[in-house]
Amino acid sequence: MQQGLAEKYELFGCMQCGKCTAGCPVSLRGPLNIRRLIREVMIDRNLEAAARPEFWDCTTCSTCSLRCPRGLEPHELIIGIRGALIEEGRIPATARDALEGVFKHGNPWGRIRSKRSEWAADLGIKDLSKGDKADLLYFVCCAASYDPRVQEVAKALTDSLAKAGVDFGILGNEESCCGSEVRRMGEEGLFEMLVEDNLKLFHERGITKVVTTSPHCYDAFKNKYQDSEIEFQHYTQLVADLISQGQLTFSKELNKVVTYHDPCYLGKQNSIYDEPRYILKSIPGIQFVDFDRCRERSLCCEGGGGRMWVEGTDAGERLSGIRIRDAVEMGVDIVATACPFCLLTLEDAAKTAGLDGKIEIKDIMELVAQAI
Amino acid sequence: MDIVVCVKRVPDTSEADVIIAKDERTVEAGDLVFDINEWDKYAVEEAVLLKEKYGGTVTAVTLGPDETEDTLRRCFATGADKAIRLTDSAFEGSDAAAIAKIIHQAVKDLKFDLIFTGTQASDDGYGQVGPVLASLLGTPHASVVTQVDIADGKARVQRELEGGLSEVVEVPLPAVFTIQTGINEPRYVSIMGVRKAAGKEIETAGLADLGLTAEDVGEKGSMTKVERLFLPPVTKEAEIIQGSPDEASTRLAQIIKDKGGFS
Ligand code: SF4
Ligand code: SF4
Repeated sequence: MQQGLAEKYELFGCMQCGKCTAGCPVSLRGPLNIRRLIREVMIDRNLEAAARPEFWDCTTCSTCSLRCPRGLEPHELIIGIRGALIEEGRIPATARDALEGVFKHGNPWGRIRSKRSEWAADLGIKDLSKGDKADLLYFVCCAASYDPRVQEVAKALTDSLAKAGVDFGILGNEESCCGSEVRRMGEEGLFEMLVEDNLKLFHERGITKVVTTSPHCYDAFKNKYQDSEIEFQHYTQLVADLISQGQLTFSKELNKVVTYHDPCYLGKQNSIYDEPRYILKSIPGIQFVDFDRCRERSLCCEGGGGRMWVEGTDAGERLSGIRIRDAVEMGVDIVATACPFCLLTLEDAAKTAGLDGKIEIKDIMELVAQAI
Repeated sequence: MDIVVCVKRVPDTSEADVIIAKDERTVEAGDLVFDINEWDKYAVEEAVLLKEKYGGTVTAVTLGPDETEDTLRRCFATGADKAIRLTDSAFEGSDAAAIAKIIHQAVKDLKFDLIFTGTQASDDGYGQVGPVLASLLGTPHASVVTQVDIADGKARVQRELEGGLSEVVEVPLPAVFTIQTGINEPRYVSIMGVRKAAGKEIETAGLADLGLTAEDVGEKGSMTKVERLFLPPVTKEAEIIQGSPDEASTRLAQIIKDKGGFS
């Protein structure tokens, strides 16, 4: 089986240069050492060597894969090890509950399906599950459907799309988890099931174009669903287009200093760096400054790879805390981002640091909606 | 160590709006999501852990229609070796005592050291099947069990009592234990694992196979009968807190404070 892992992930190509570990944001604060893990899987060839508790700390941000000069994908090895352990039932209890929630209720929080589209009640949004037709499917995401903070992003997005005259609809209570984090926690079987069910639903509803709130849904759809009949976009791509074509115009000024935190799944994993910045710079009044660690070098918020449901072993300062501290030093009023998980982890960090009220964490879409 | 585990398929009602059917004695299945009873999940895990430690077999038993096979497949994926489904239209309306009678007929001739049930089921919450089954089998039993150790053909089990207390009792085998949640950390059952269990054989047995008659089961064979189900009336004391999470939590904190909750 470990023979399998070493071959499947081409570990023999590894020259142990350590660029992966050097770039790994999580190793900044904890014991995770991806280079050593690779070495151990190759030498020891048993799962126990790989199954150190800290390997759940990995956020599958993919910095390691981006930096590897030999073109290896160490973060995929982590997913593979998780998969092997899951087949033995060995997974943190909180991650287990998240997976069971997805299986039973279609979302990792195990919230009931009949409340999935409650946030949209009275907003007059087309519901494709009720027979409405639209050019574009807005795929809301579990976080934006159930989390009151992220619901604000969904409302800002739908409000702005409506004002720009875009013909869109949602899948209402029929929408199910995209499975991005399910795959990254290693539950390949459940992920395949979600891909099958979701694609079937998209095709039944005649959907050819999808826009997502979350970079995680976008990444899974674009890179893992790979359906040739459906075009997938992250909202920052669509909104950047709407602005450049003059379909979305601003009438208010937002006189704030704003920086942007690159979500790993949007930037590092899908090279979408410019659209979010273009949107922010288009908003009148905004003075934009970049973090020192930005774009490919951006710090991970630690919300990915299932980490929303796994506490982790790393004891050092949370990376989101470092991010907020940097932002305060830069003198910004607002840290903008474009991912539900980044939004939640960064806001949490700001509250923990007692900076609530001094610095605001916003999704780009909320700033757009404010300035329209 | 041969262990029989009794499991039940129940609706997940943690957040669902429960609708009482027209007959006022059942709940509408509607959009409810069904799964293995929470307590039974721990019972199956405990049985499999003991098997892993001492060897032997685990047999899962359930009572119900075709759909309950999902629950048994989950047991297979957790590590059960055999599964039996007891099914007959005559079983409808059986109370805990009648269900124990049915299970008794199915297990009395099996070779077993232990029988586990969950402490209770999350739907009707009687907590009776285990004790009644033990009395029919003439074996000792322990309820609300939070730890099981086996030595010299005996079990030492820890039972949860009121007020955070526990007691340890020694029980000769064979015995029936009703298992409490928290006794272990049930493993995750992967989709691949459940798929692999899809081909495994599930034995079935009905009224005649079990040597029972219609008089023994259903309402006729029961000691209790559900007369009417109803939702608890909303009393004046109940207050639904409205508003944003910030407003609601502030209000909630105020209420707790006013009532002396923070000291
Ligand atoms: S960067 Fe690539 S080659 Fe270098 S140690 Fe990491 S995996 Fe091996
Ligand atoms: S994916 Fe990110 S967190 Fe995981 S090992 Fe690679 S660099 Fe570290």
